Amino acid sequence: MTWIESLTLNSPSGFWNPIVWLVFLVIFAIIGYLIYSRGNRSYKPNTDQVKPFLSGNKVEDVEEIRVRAGDIYWGFIEALKGYYDVLMRMHTGDVRDYILWYLGLGAIILFILVGGV
Amino acid sequence: MGKLTNFKRSLWVFHASGGSCNACDIEIIAALTPRYDVERFGIKLVGSPRHADVLLVTGAIPRDFADKLRRIYEQMPDPKAVVVIGNCGTSGGVFYDSYNIAGPIDEIIPVDVYVPGCPPRPEAIIDGVVKAWLKIEKLEKELEGKKE
Ligand code: SF4
Repeated sequence: MTWIESLTLNSPSGFWNPIVWLVFLVIFAIIGYLIYSRGNRSYKPNTDQVKPFLSGNKVEDVEEIRVRAGDIYWGFIEALKGYYDVLMRMHTGDVRDYILWYLGLGAIILFILVGGV
Repeated sequence: MGKLTNFKRSLWVFHASGGSCNACDIEIIAALTPRYDVERFGIKLVGSPRHADVLLVTGAIPRDFADKLRRIYEQMPDPKAVVVIGNCGTSGGVFYDSYNIAGPIDEIIPVDVYVPGCPPRPEAIIDGVVKAWLKIEKLEKELEGKKE
């Protein structure tokens, strides 16, 4: 068994050898460098040269121009604005408020169920 | 006229029109029509300054357009040249000293070739583009010099 073979890991579906892997890595690095070296050296990073062309208009921040998932529901939210305004005011994000709602509604339901007896 | 030796590819041109009356723009199009057909020399209008070697600018450039023109110029790769077509961009033309004009163009971006006329004939425009071509060759040589 040669030293190369001793490094090879054989499996029913193929083999793995670090030397072969390294050779390929070097070949791909050389190809990559050749492509890179043919690039335009006068390219200026951090200028308008790297930005997309929008008929000379300023390129807005991506946050400003992209369509967000929430925008899909725009018509829906717009049509039910009154309803959502109330809901959003109630939806404070404060867990103590939610517990309060929970206890309050719980008490009302309990009162309806037990109170009648 | 010098010989075209160094710049070995076709010359691609981007046309920016800022407040022109459209006559200069029409003459640029005339240079592309079968009578002159500059595309047979590889001179081609492209849709983005990112692909262009030469920027053709027409019009007196209203204030709102000045920033856009600067941005378009910035977006072109080096080496690049700017050709002003018409009196409007060269000196202000009939709009000279108007309150809403940011031009002449050389007050906004550096200009390499002026093609005066109101509007200039297609022959003059082609001559201007060839002069820009020579200028780009010079710039390319300088860039190559820097590379070595
Ligand atoms: S130079 Fe004359 S033809 Fe050209 S855009 Fe100005 S007014 Fe029109």
